[in-house]
Amino acid sequence: MEIIIEEISHGHKLLGRHKFAADSISIGRGYDNDIIISDPHVCADHLHLQFNGEHWFVSDQGSINGSYLENSKENIIQHQVKSGDIITIGKSQVRLVFPSHPVDESIAISPFESLINLARHPLALALNISLFAFIAGWIIDLGNVNEVTLTQMIVPTIGLTFAFALWPAGLALVSHLTKHDARFWTQVGISFIFFNLMWFSDIFENIVHFNTSSNFSMVWIIAIIPLLLAFCLFWLNCYVGFHMTLRRRNLVSLCLVLLLFGGSLIIQMSKQPDFNPRPQFNTKIMSPAFLFAPSSNVERFVSDSAKLFDKVTKQAEEDSKE
Amino acid sequence: MRVIFALLLIGFSTLSYAVEQAEEIFKQLAPSLYQIRLIDKASGEKSSIGSGFQISSDGLIATNYHVISGYARHPHKYTIEYIDNQGNKAQLELKSVDVINDLAIVQRQVTSVMPYFEIAQQAPTKGEELYSLGNPHDLGMIVVPGTYNGLKNESFNDRIHFTGSVNSGMSGGPVVNKNTEVVGINVATSGNQIGFLVPHDKLLTLYLNYKTSPPESIEQQMAAQLMQNQSKLISTIMNSDWQLKQLGRGLIPTIDVPFVRCWGESNSDKADAQIMAAVANCDLDENTYISSDFFTGSLEMEYRYMESSKISSTKFYHIFQRQLDRVSPGNQAGKDDVTEYQCHHDIVMPDTSNIRNKAAFCTRAYKDFPDLYDVLYIAISVDHEQYALLSHFTISGVAQETSLAFLAKFMESVSWK
Repeated sequence: MEIIIEEISHGHKLLGRHKFAADSISIGRGYDNDIIISDPHVCADHLHLQFNGEHWFVSDQGSINGSYLENSKENIIQHQVKSGDIITIGKSQVRLVFPSHPVDESIAISPFESLINLARHPLALALNISLFAFIAGWIIDLGNVNEVTLTQMIVPTIGLTFAFALWPAGLALVSHLTKHDARFWTQVGISFIFFNLMWFSDIFENIVHFNTSSNFSMVWIIAIIPLLLAFCLFWLNCYVGFHMTLRRRNLVSLCLVLLLFGGSLIIQMSKQPDFNPRPQFNTKIMSPAFLFAPSSNVERFVSDSAKLFDKVTKQAEEDSKE
Repeated sequence: MRVIFALLLIGFSTLSYAVEQAEEIFKQLAPSLYQIRLIDKASGEKSSIGSGFQISSDGLIATNYHVISGYARHPHKYTIEYIDNQGNKAQLELKSVDVINDLAIVQRQVTSVMPYFEIAQQAPTKGEELYSLGNPHDLGMIVVPGTYNGLKNESFNDRIHFTGSVNSGMSGGPVVNKNTEVVGINVATSGNQIGFLVPHDKLLTLYLNYKTSPPESIEQQMAAQLMQNQSKLISTIMNSDWQLKQLGRGLIPTIDVPFVRCWGESNSDKADAQIMAAVANCDLDENTYISSDFFTGSLEMEYRYMESSKISSTKFYHIFQRQLDRVSPGNQAGKDDVTEYQCHHDIVMPDTSNIRNKAAFCTRAYKDFPDLYDVLYIAISVDHEQYALLSHFTISGVAQETSLAFLAKFMESVSWK
């Protein structure tokens, strides 16, 4: 009976696959073997498989490091092979499969996939990257008190764009190294779409902050938008770059979001002094064009302010109790 | 009561006359003069020094509050000690303070009736020769002749302007006239022969109040004084003439009282500036010392007008926003003294005026003095594309009612022309 022998890595990634019609197969480091494994921990004659007309049997050939079934510590001697057995020899692994071994159901190419591929369309790519660069340049200019010429702007803008392109580039590299399809341009396209969405969410957040008073207690909802965007970005990055289950992809994206935002939160908290003598409030101001909220009158403002006194008095009492 | 001595000497030239008189005064008064020291209990060393003088036969000594403020704030950390002209040391007990006028009364143990300084009944006349006594920089007791130049005009709480050298360490020392009556107490200096004294009547009031009803606790006494002073100050300001002045296209209120002084600056000389800016600020020329890192009783108002036709509206407001980020309190105070600020912000347009502001009001409470707060208000107009007006004030050590009344009046006074 035919047998398929797969060389696999420790993470069960396929390294090589061989199909044999013979009744006797030898595995080892020696050049006389049917499968040659160049692992120094494997002996010249390490493992031998034999078909007796009905079943395949596998035996260790008295190797130094032995041969073991996964999750077992017993050296293999005349073991009857079951389809899917994984055997550790030295620091390598082989998987034994019969032709009748069941395979997963085929996955239909989803319309989602073709949607993602839209991101790497040259036109979409060019549009997204130039939009990103334009917004980046605009924001750099906003913070500059002095007059800036176009040429002075170009260098930091291009620099920033390249710096952001490092993320998809890094992802593509990791995909490539882990034997996945790199899909560099798709990663770039997706990442820049989301970078742009984050710019827009930032602008939106500023407008909301500018228009709302401290009476508005739902501001935290706005803070969720960048978290959601980041989650979507990481999720799609995983989808494009790596084969993983949905559950795993969700988990990885969630961890990345936590790492990114939680990390920056912790850094911010650690920088906070024990006592801050400066007042903290939302200082956002924008051009009148972005002001949509109705204004309060002085009376309302004064009565709202009056509530603060109770708050600080309570705080002072609590502090003096300590 | 006993007048120490009458002056008998008559000099021949005015100069030698003054010098001799100073010598004579010093000789007579020396036994009633003290150096006051604050001793840190843990290290056993002095942490601050000042001067003091006896004002009663039973051992009451007057000095500055700021000399003994460490003890008033942390009685367990320090002891107060005096050294007399013989070099004798002994402990003092804190009896009463006037934190607004920077005065304190301490008491030494006496075995017999002692000579003391008589407090004058009348203020000196302008140009009158006075003698300041004290121990500058721990160098020994000295006498400094100088002239009385009336009360300082820009001061809410009276201070005598004394032309003569008052140096640190002389704080709390007496200033006497030719008849050796105390007319003032050394308190501060602006350098170069400009000294400031607390007028004698403040000490007299404190002394008489102490005689009739000694305070139960120094902290409560200070709280009551701070409360009374803020109400007096803010009601004076509220009832004064608020003059509207033009700043750019805006109208800003300034208060027409001598003790609030205004200054201005602009960048109109810089033709290439992207934003034209003009600043005016008014402040109270004094504050109340509570401890070396805690001041109160200050009042500041600041206005800033910015206009630009060279940059976009978005950029203009982006740059202007930095003014808001930079806001800081007008007085120094630490974690042990005050809470952190709590703020409220909103878009506000007064019913009576045509300006639309993003406004924020913040306050923090004093931990040791109940019902006293520091408040801070800042607003930037957000109703014009290319120009905006910032209006801001901070007041420290105010009550809720007074600060809110001030807030309402201030907000209604700022407008566009």
